[in-house]
Amino acid sequence: STAYKNNPAVANFVEYLRIPSVQPNIDYDECVKFLKRQANEIGLDFKVYEVVPQKPIVVLTWKGKEPTLPAILLNSHMDVVPVFENSWTYPPFSGHIDEDGKIFARGSQDMKCVGIQYLEAIRKIKQAGLQLKRTLHISFVPDEEIGGHDGMEKFVLTNEFKALNIGFALDEGMANPTDEFIIFNGERSIWQMHIHCTGQ
Amino acid sequence: KLDKSNPYWVAFKGVCDELELKLDCRIFPGGTDSRYVRRVGIPAIGFSPMNNTPVLLHDHDEFLRADIYLRGIEIYEKLIPAVANV
Repeated sequence: STAYKNNPAVANFVEYLRIPSVQPNIDYDECVKFLKRQANEIGLDFKVYEVVPQKPIVVLTWKGKEPTLPAILLNSHMDVVPVFENSWTYPPFSGHIDEDGKIFARGSQDMKCVGIQYLEAIRKIKQAGLQLKRTLHISFVPDEEIGGHDGMEKFVLTNEFKALNIGFALDEGMANPTDEFIIFNGERSIWQMHIHCTGQ
Repeated sequence: KLDKSNPYWVAFKGVCDELELKLDCRIFPGGTDSRYVRRVGIPAIGFSPMNNTPVLLHDHDEFLRADIYLRGIEIYEKLIPAVANV
């Protein structure tokens, strides 16, 4: 695990996992600062959209060779669900790496891994001197875990989003215990029933 | 749609075949932000490169093995240029 701790891509992941962007009432400032630093390091444009106050939508952009073509959106959410800390072997915002190389943290699967993987992959692609045809927008959105109502749901309806001219998007999937990778190309419709018990 | 009508999917699938990744295509059991993206007419795929990993989202002791995480970066190093060069 020492080798992993010294790996810069793992270190970046652990640093992001240590930001407790846990529902409810999240202060996203630390995430925004972290992502701004990543953008500067990698050489990506950085923009924050605030459709709803205190609910930043962070977009890092790498302009393609043919910027008029529809762009690619690589989306991830910054928030994570709550924890019952007493039930954890290691503190849930420690990013502890055990001797088997397991990285423990709330958000390690859902889905801070994916956000950092996009960035680390782009870092390497840029270092290899490649330039891509289409523009990439790497978005980090708030509040997915509570329905995305102040995040992606409103953002997709804005002129700012339309101006990004997205043609195709990637977002989270799910872990799989077998050697296959799960791909999702649709979602179930969610119908929630709210039962109000008013008493007598 | 996961067929030839979607050139981005063709590029995505091509990389998976090249890397010999076995895929299991499903409908998302819950809901995530890609439903809003699809609602405005943009094709979206849900993919987190985590195979050989127990499903621990929202659970205690959520973890990801470092080697799986690093392999995921290598997968995106191929996937991202493929879909961006369509």
